[in-house]
Amino acid sequence: MARREVGEINAGSMADIAFLLLIFFLVTTTMEVDAGIGRTLPLKRDNVEQEPIDIRERDILEILANSNDQLMVEGKFIELDELEEIVVDFYTANSKGNETDPTMPTYELRTVSSCQVQIANLQTLLESDPDNADLNREKEKWETKLALCEEMPTKAYYEISKMSIIQLKNQANTSYGLYLEVQNILKKVVNDLRVKKCEELGWEDYYELDDKTIDGQEKIAMLRILVPERIVEARIDR
Amino acid sequence: MGRFNQSKQKSIPAVNTSALPDIIFMLLFFFMVATTMKEVNLQVDIEKPTADQAVALEDKDNIDFLYIGFPTNAEHGTEPRIQLDDMLINDYHAIQEWKRSSIPQGRSILEVPTSFKVHKDVGMRTVSLAKEELREIDALKIIYSADKTE
Repeated sequence: MARREVGEINAGSMADIAFLLLIFFLVTTTMEVDAGIGRTLPLKRDNVEQEPIDIRERDILEILANSNDQLMVEGKFIELDELEEIVVDFYTANSKGNETDPTMPTYELRTVSSCQVQIANLQTLLESDPDNADLNREKEKWETKLALCEEMPTKAYYEISKMSIIQLKNQANTSYGLYLEVQNILKKVVNDLRVKKCEELGWEDYYELDDKTIDGQEKIAMLRILVPERIVEARIDR
Repeated sequence: MGRFNQSKQKSIPAVNTSALPDIIFMLLFFFMVATTMKEVNLQVDIEKPTADQAVALEDKDNIDFLYIGFPTNAEHGTEPRIQLDDMLINDYHAIQEWKRSSIPQGRSILEVPTSFKVHKDVGMRTVSLAKEELREIDALKIIYSADKTE
């Protein structure tokens, strides 16, 4: 009888098995990516005498989260999912310049000429005090505003009152989870509004703006003026 | 009757293992890419909150991590505690020293963010006091760590 030679085991499907394993891991595991919401704390200025500024009630949006994790906005209890609409309203109620809602911040018209006047004024002040950091910052801001006017098809835009702030108040036992949800909503509103502004101006997508290029930096600076993010947190007493 | 031929012994050839290294390498690469290094030995339990606006952190080497959570070891009590590097601290002022010493030469304290990894049930008092300490030394950049959701 002839001896039958047994051939090598076909290992060609080994690759398929390996791929199967790979795909299995890819699908079943979640990769933990560190993510977060960035914020900048206000500068501490003990040595500088704060001049009392006249803050109008309408310019402040007060959000209070109490120890029982209940939310209160401007003295009224609300649910978390109502907050977004309120914040959007705070930003946009009077954004066309006319007085639509007298309880919300006013908007002021900025034109090329009004910006130029401000820059000229600051320039004269700077001549006597060229190293004043505040004045220099102020001048830079107005230059950005002037550039923004030039970007606009109408050569002018409406700017939210510079006193407008969102005030966040927490209590000692307010949970961090709720605090972060409020922060998240504030971020979302600002991001959404900035996305809309980018579309109106015909720029690239807001999330695509690159702060490493000069063009990107300028656009981000302009968006910060159009949709500012001014959040003040009250201190919790020990 | 059929004949049984005992002498006809099939020799089983060796399994071809030439693809085995490829598989192992593939697994290795997969885990290298997909996993993140463990930063510290956590002594507090942290269940991060979720946020859909969270953005992925870049340049993690230049971020300091501050952990606030409930101690995993009952010896340390049940109140929220702050962990810096590998130790739990008792005094909030230790944050200032820790932050200052973590800044590499030639970099400003303003440029190096501090990431807060906080359990979602921790009260805001602890978080707020920790933030005040950082404000004292002008470490103003804060990242509130959260799990990204869609």
